[in-house]
Amino acid sequence: MYIRTLRLKQFRNYDRLDLQVENKVNLILGENAQGKTNLMEAIYMLAFAKSHRTANDKELIQWNQDFAVIDAELEKKNGHATLGIVLSSKGKKTKINHLEQQKLSDFVGTMNVVMFAPEDLHLIKGGPRLRRRFIDMGIGQISTVYLHDLSLYQRILKQRNQLLKSMFPVPQEDQEIMLDILSEQLSVAAAKVIERRFAFLRLLEKWSREIHEEITRQSETLTIRYQPSCNVSEEMDLSMIEKRMKETLERDKQQEIRRGLTLTGPHRDDMSLFINGKEVQVYGSQGQQRTVALSLKLAEIELIYDSIGEYPILLLDDVLSELDHHRQTHLLNAIQSKVQTFVTTTSVDGIEHQTLQEATTFYAKEGTLTKMK
Amino acid sequence: MQYPAPIAKLMEGFMKLPGIGPKTASRLAFYVLEMKEDDVLEFARSLVHAKRDLMYCSQCHHITDVDPCRICEDTSRDQTVICVVQDAKDVIAMEKMREYNGLYHVLHGAISPMDGIGPEDIYVAELIKRLQENENIQEVIIATNSTIEGEATAMYISRLMKPTGIKTTRIAHGLPIGGDLEYADEVTLSKALEGRREI
Repeated sequence: MYIRTLRLKQFRNYDRLDLQVENKVNLILGENAQGKTNLMEAIYMLAFAKSHRTANDKELIQWNQDFAVIDAELEKKNGHATLGIVLSSKGKKTKINHLEQQKLSDFVGTMNVVMFAPEDLHLIKGGPRLRRRFIDMGIGQISTVYLHDLSLYQRILKQRNQLLKSMFPVPQEDQEIMLDILSEQLSVAAAKVIERRFAFLRLLEKWSREIHEEITRQSETLTIRYQPSCNVSEEMDLSMIEKRMKETLERDKQQEIRRGLTLTGPHRDDMSLFINGKEVQVYGSQGQQRTVALSLKLAEIELIYDSIGEYPILLLDDVLSELDHHRQTHLLNAIQSKVQTFVTTTSVDGIEHQTLQEATTFYAKEGTLTKMK
Repeated sequence: MQYPAPIAKLMEGFMKLPGIGPKTASRLAFYVLEMKEDDVLEFARSLVHAKRDLMYCSQCHHITDVDPCRICEDTSRDQTVICVVQDAKDVIAMEKMREYNGLYHVLHGAISPMDGIGPEDIYVAELIKRLQENENIQEVIIATNSTIEGEATAMYISRLMKPTGIKTTRIAHGLPIGGDLEYADEVTLSKALEGRREI
């Protein structure tokens, strides 16, 4: 899939933008604070209906204005679609082919985007929350049912934590029964989330291993392992995971009541990455961690292609300068002529790759984009 | 400009109703001034009566003007089945169907720790007591909503009912009848698929 036109109105520092782009690599050059990342953010919004850097939609509206508009014409393999988002102080409206969508979940998923930004380089070393988010967004792009199961899980979790808090210090009998019920509900929802994550990481490993071997010239083998907080394994079926989860909750009940928190479940899970059997998080060099992050992102692109039959749009926000020459080359080779890509950077000095030379180049300055070639 | 006190008070009254803001309240208040005095009196009386004469049925806790309510009193109804619902409005929905001929029990809410609603805040204990006192009951149909809270409440009731040995059933959920498969959302479809059965 690819974007044909993108229009912005009063979005961040763009007063008005009408951009025509082609299905290839688009390079956006410019100094800092000229609107490069804002453009990426707008495209990201069209895919997820929320920003990747703020939870407050009001920040997205230009200073002193009441509303902001993002519009795009999208070309997909089975026809084209017009996507629109209107942000105002009253909230946001999303439109597909000019029809307003009642639920955000109906809008999300029409356009698929994979974004690679400097903060993704922390994916390996950073906290488990980042990795869980990576997994959830990855599955969410290809399965609405997963998003529903996940939000169901989170709601039950909230209910259960609230109940646990109210049970301290002396639990009443009806609270004990209620805890039992919420544990059961939580286990059912948790099992669905865990099973899906296992399957996703298996696929992700398949793709990223191949890519990683290529980048490292066959010297490194990447292994991904899901680390559930509950004692379950990939071979188990749904009912077995559910059973284990329930047993763990039952076992830790007293401790959970004391702490007012649910201690086991997908909200505490993590993934580990290994190179040639050694854990990257612990033993990997900076460079290895970057390569792994790159492999995972490129694998995500293939995974989306595998499940929906077309490539997503790739956003590379300021990451070229973070990678060494060899990795840059690999990244640029990988996207060559198959994925519509938006690349931002302050300078292309020293990067002499064919992909960039053939790219359409825009220059960003104070909320305008000028086509250079 | 300030409203004269009687109008201001009337508006204040209207604004206590759901969905009515200052503008609608002012429109309604001025309309009342135009109404015939008899109609206004009639309206005021119905308001007071609705509040004063309506109560919860001592058996099923449905809203009623006589106790026990007309459904509980109706001997032509099947006295062996009780349908448990969350709200009085649900009873009215069930009755519209004209297919169910048993009794009801209205819980007036669902258990939700987040909102501070525990089992003691809804009419669960009353249901259990009713089952213990009435030996005719053979089946309890739990028709709470298919939300997390509705499901939790259903499970809670079935847990309490275990010792009584009475048959407990849960209503099914899935695709709406007469609806095309293609219009159902993914989540409903996957639920319907989970609940499939052999034919």
